[in-house]
Amino acid sequence: MKMGEIRALQQADISAVAELFQRILRKTSQPATHALETYLTGLFIEAPDRDPEIGSLVHVLDDGRVSGFIGVMPLPMLAEGRSVRAAVCGSLMVDNHADDPFAGARLMRAFLSGPQDVTLTETANDISTAMWRKLRATVLPDYSLEWLRIIRPAGFVAEMATKAVGAARLLSPLARPIDSLIRRGEPGPRWSSLAAAIPEETLPSVDADDETTATLLTKWTEGYAVRPLWQPENLHQMVAEASSKALYGEMVRRVVMTRDGRPLGLFLYHGDPGRIGRVMQILAAPGRIGETIDSMLAHASERGMLALRGRTQPVLLNAMLGRRFAFFHTSSSVVHARDPTLLEPFLAGKAFFNGFAGESWSRLIGDRFD
Amino acid sequence: MPDAIKSQIRTFIVENFLFGDDSTPLGDEQSLIESDMVDSTGILELVSFLEERFGVAMADADIVPANLDSIARIAAFVARKSEVVAG
Repeated sequence: MKMGEIRALQQADISAVAELFQRILRKTSQPATHALETYLTGLFIEAPDRDPEIGSLVHVLDDGRVSGFIGVMPLPMLAEGRSVRAAVCGSLMVDNHADDPFAGARLMRAFLSGPQDVTLTETANDISTAMWRKLRATVLPDYSLEWLRIIRPAGFVAEMATKAVGAARLLSPLARPIDSLIRRGEPGPRWSSLAAAIPEETLPSVDADDETTATLLTKWTEGYAVRPLWQPENLHQMVAEASSKALYGEMVRRVVMTRDGRPLGLFLYHGDPGRIGRVMQILAAPGRIGETIDSMLAHASERGMLALRGRTQPVLLNAMLGRRFAFFHTSSSVVHARDPTLLEPFLAGKAFFNGFAGESWSRLIGDRFD
Repeated sequence: MPDAIKSQIRTFIVENFLFGDDSTPLGDEQSLIESDMVDSTGILELVSFLEERFGVAMADADIVPANLDSIARIAAFVARKSEVVAG
């Protein structure tokens, strides 16, 4: 009879966790590399904001094998002026999940019984969302949608077909002339494309380095009722790591500038020209998010992107309405707090959550470890 | 008392995991896992039910098949826990 135990992650577990990651989350039979093991150690054992009481857990079978893992990253936050301990949870994985449903349930329950004030996850699939709900967590619809903005419709369709059937990439050359026609104003799905000429009022943007990005992230999250309380050195490390997502493509990180040279917004996405870019963060000075989005779309269009996609935040949702964005759902952003007053800012859209205040900055999402 | 516990547990399982369909016999010793009646979400649901209905505190080490994989095991577990509380 299987019993097993839940305990804190130890360095000796890392190679087993790396193998689980490859097999369950990356769905590959390739063995885990030393680079992956090193990264997991840095993220979960030597975490930037490590807290001796809040950490990752493993499920260990009676024979000593690690069969389950829940990855936890402590995140100090400021809620309505007071410091709270938050924990971002991701990478829930259990070997042979169907035959051992106890492991996942025990991992989540043990994690939620920890000392953190707020628990967050932004990548809950349908199964784990159902589990979170049973543990009285709250799904946040405004933070749980994926947005999609198509820039070159024919190219986008060809790219999506390629993902379904590899040979369809042969169609891609045909997409470019079709998109050119659409962008010149020929009959076509105007709702989704950008005009070839960028409107004159669109604000320019310039490349942003790590230092500028970290500074602006801190500055433009200060207005939120709940926000991360990043230590500068930790935020720098996160910003640097977020630049590397080889599976998604090259990083584009730009600061949108006013005509007189003041920073007004920031956007960060990964994607090579001719592909669909994945936006990790959009941030702006109060009231300027719409102009930031317009500048980002203009830059992406000039760079030859087919489309951009990303995760919603309430402030983005408002600005995206009327700008020809589509929305769909793939995973949920979830919050759990024993104190209901800590939930209120999340439900009211006044919490900065997702992106750098989540897990998407991590190299586990979108990077290679060859 | 054990029969009363079993009855409440059976009712909960039929309503929540079999969607009210009690046409198929559900034996006291039948494995809920091997019958594919309960997944991870179901385990959490079951644990919440036991805590709320019977007032038992479920420690992590309690959430194992030996205690929760059949109606008989669950009833025996609840009875043991209740004795501890009463004692």
